[in-house]
Amino acid sequence: MIARLAWRSIWRNRRRTLITVLSIGFGLTCAIFFIAIGEGVYTQLIDQVVRMQAGHITLENPKYRDAPAVDLWIKAPESLRSQIESLPQVERTKLIIMGQGIARSGSGNVSATLMGIEPSVELETSPLARHMVDGRYLNDDDGPWVVIGSELAHRLKLGVGKKMVITTNDAAGNLVDELCRVRGIFETGSVEIDGYFIQAPIEFARRLFGLPDQGVSQLGVVLRVPEAQESVLNEIQLLAAGEDIAVLPWQTVIPEIASYIKLDKGSNLIFQAILVFLILFTIFNTILMSVLEREREFAVLLALGTKPDQLRLQILMESFYLGLIGCALGLLLGGLAAWIVQVWGIDLRSFLEEGFTISGFAVSTKMYARLTPGLLFGTTGLVLVATMILSFIPMRRATRLSIVDQLR
Amino acid sequence: MASIVRLQNVTKDYGQGQALTHALRGVNLELEAGEFTAMAGPSGSGKSTLLNIIGGLDRPTAGKVEVDGRELENLSKTELGLLRRDRLGFIFQSYNLIPVLTAIENAEYVLMLQGVETVERRERVRQVLKEVGLEGLENRYPRQLSGGQQQRVAIARAIVSEPALVLADEPTANVDSETGKALLDLMRELNEEKGVTFFFSTHEEAVMRRARRLLELRDGVIFNDETNNNGDRTHG
Repeated sequence: MIARLAWRSIWRNRRRTLITVLSIGFGLTCAIFFIAIGEGVYTQLIDQVVRMQAGHITLENPKYRDAPAVDLWIKAPESLRSQIESLPQVERTKLIIMGQGIARSGSGNVSATLMGIEPSVELETSPLARHMVDGRYLNDDDGPWVVIGSELAHRLKLGVGKKMVITTNDAAGNLVDELCRVRGIFETGSVEIDGYFIQAPIEFARRLFGLPDQGVSQLGVVLRVPEAQESVLNEIQLLAAGEDIAVLPWQTVIPEIASYIKLDKGSNLIFQAILVFLILFTIFNTILMSVLEREREFAVLLALGTKPDQLRLQILMESFYLGLIGCALGLLLGGLAAWIVQVWGIDLRSFLEEGFTISGFAVSTKMYARLTPGLLFGTTGLVLVATMILSFIPMRRATRLSIVDQLR
Repeated sequence: MASIVRLQNVTKDYGQGQALTHALRGVNLELEAGEFTAMAGPSGSGKSTLLNIIGGLDRPTAGKVEVDGRELENLSKTELGLLRRDRLGFIFQSYNLIPVLTAIENAEYVLMLQGVETVERRERVRQVLKEVGLEGLENRYPRQLSGGQQQRVAIARAIVSEPALVLADEPTANVDSETGKALLDLMRELNEEKGVTFFFSTHEEAVMRRARRLLELRDGVIFNDETNNNGDRTHG
């Protein structure tokens, strides 16, 4: 009967209940939608960056992080690589040689970063191949051919098939140069990538930097599901236990992106906290008003012998019902809105110029939400629990009132 | 007969200093099971205060209050609540029904608190509602009932748990005189046929005449206590 009493009590003032329920629903819809958008953007950003760079997990020389240099290479044994690739959560592994040099053409020279890659693997994992604006991406049979960014091509006045020379110091410290030709030109929208980035087949890079067979700067691991990172990292650490190799998460390898996400999440959290506070304030106000205007009724219930705990339960159930209806509405609308953006995405080209970058990394202007059960039910559960906690103050008031004063 | 209520030198003061008001000044009273007692007196004479103290809703400033063999002074707030739930019934001047519960739900509320099973509860409540003349109106909400019908629901709620004592604070004050008489007839019937003990306050002459025992309270003191064994049962 207490449940019935609570349910009917919330509908005494239909308009107020509807406003409260809609406020909860609207607030939760916004919270779910914006958190999902944020998660989607982060996931998209991380995915693009780690796929273009050294994966979700990177194996490298333990000293490489302090001063990345081409002489701090590791030998990536095929056995270790195949063991890692056999892990179910691993999509691919990629070999990378990274080094700095000067790209020269007849028209000038530009300081550049050269990344030696396995073209067939990059085609599967990296988004760079999708950004070709001239020529084509590399394939495994390409010898001294490279792909370069559009800005670099512009500065060096290079086109597809043109020659350029890369000058650098090899692993032994000797000044070396290699002639190569441009196979294709990419444009990601990032000044840092388009202006200074060169990709070449790994054998070319190995020869240029004077590395031995199987010598690489990094062995990158691309995961099927980012959430598996921690467990896979632990497994790889066990697999590489005997080697002098550091196994690092992408957050350590690309700290600027990790910091950006942390900072952005922090500011989003403030926005979300304000939103949740507003929802909770509305609920609190409703429950308190509803208790204040029924003090005489509560006094009657206490006079009839209702235990304070039973009265508390009634008020708690009223809050629960309000929260439940509002949360169901918010869960449905927020989940639906986020799911639509997860499937179809939002094209931000009307609002943003092409070339939207975060920490120097180009981000797609098509934004996708990322909806997880944790986000959906975690946020909803949080609002529901907070709603019930908020009823403690009105509850306290109702059970401490003076029966005689109220009945007088 | 056994005493249901025993008051010894009960006083109740409100406020302090110059604002000190003596609501009750040394009240001594004994009520026995099966009595049908009215308490009369002008406004401010202490009637409600006395009912509140007997009902464990308020505590006296001094004196001893014993209800159903238990000294209220020794009972905690929770124990007082349980005493009210299990041994007392209340009828209020303004009915004080729960507006979102139907007549039958209002009447069965105390039985629900007592943990009586639904089927038994419904059976008992239907019977009592029939006795108070509300058969067919069980599923109406208070707003769908007249003042007299609402007070009948309140009476049903007060007696359905078969309490040792029903306390009623001016139960006929908010209804017209005909309805008031009918309500009083009902209370008398319940008293005579079911042995329910009633103690109620009133300031209406007609109601006073219907009581078997009449207490008159003035300035917090019982100055008259008379018994009328016949009790006027005629209307008018």
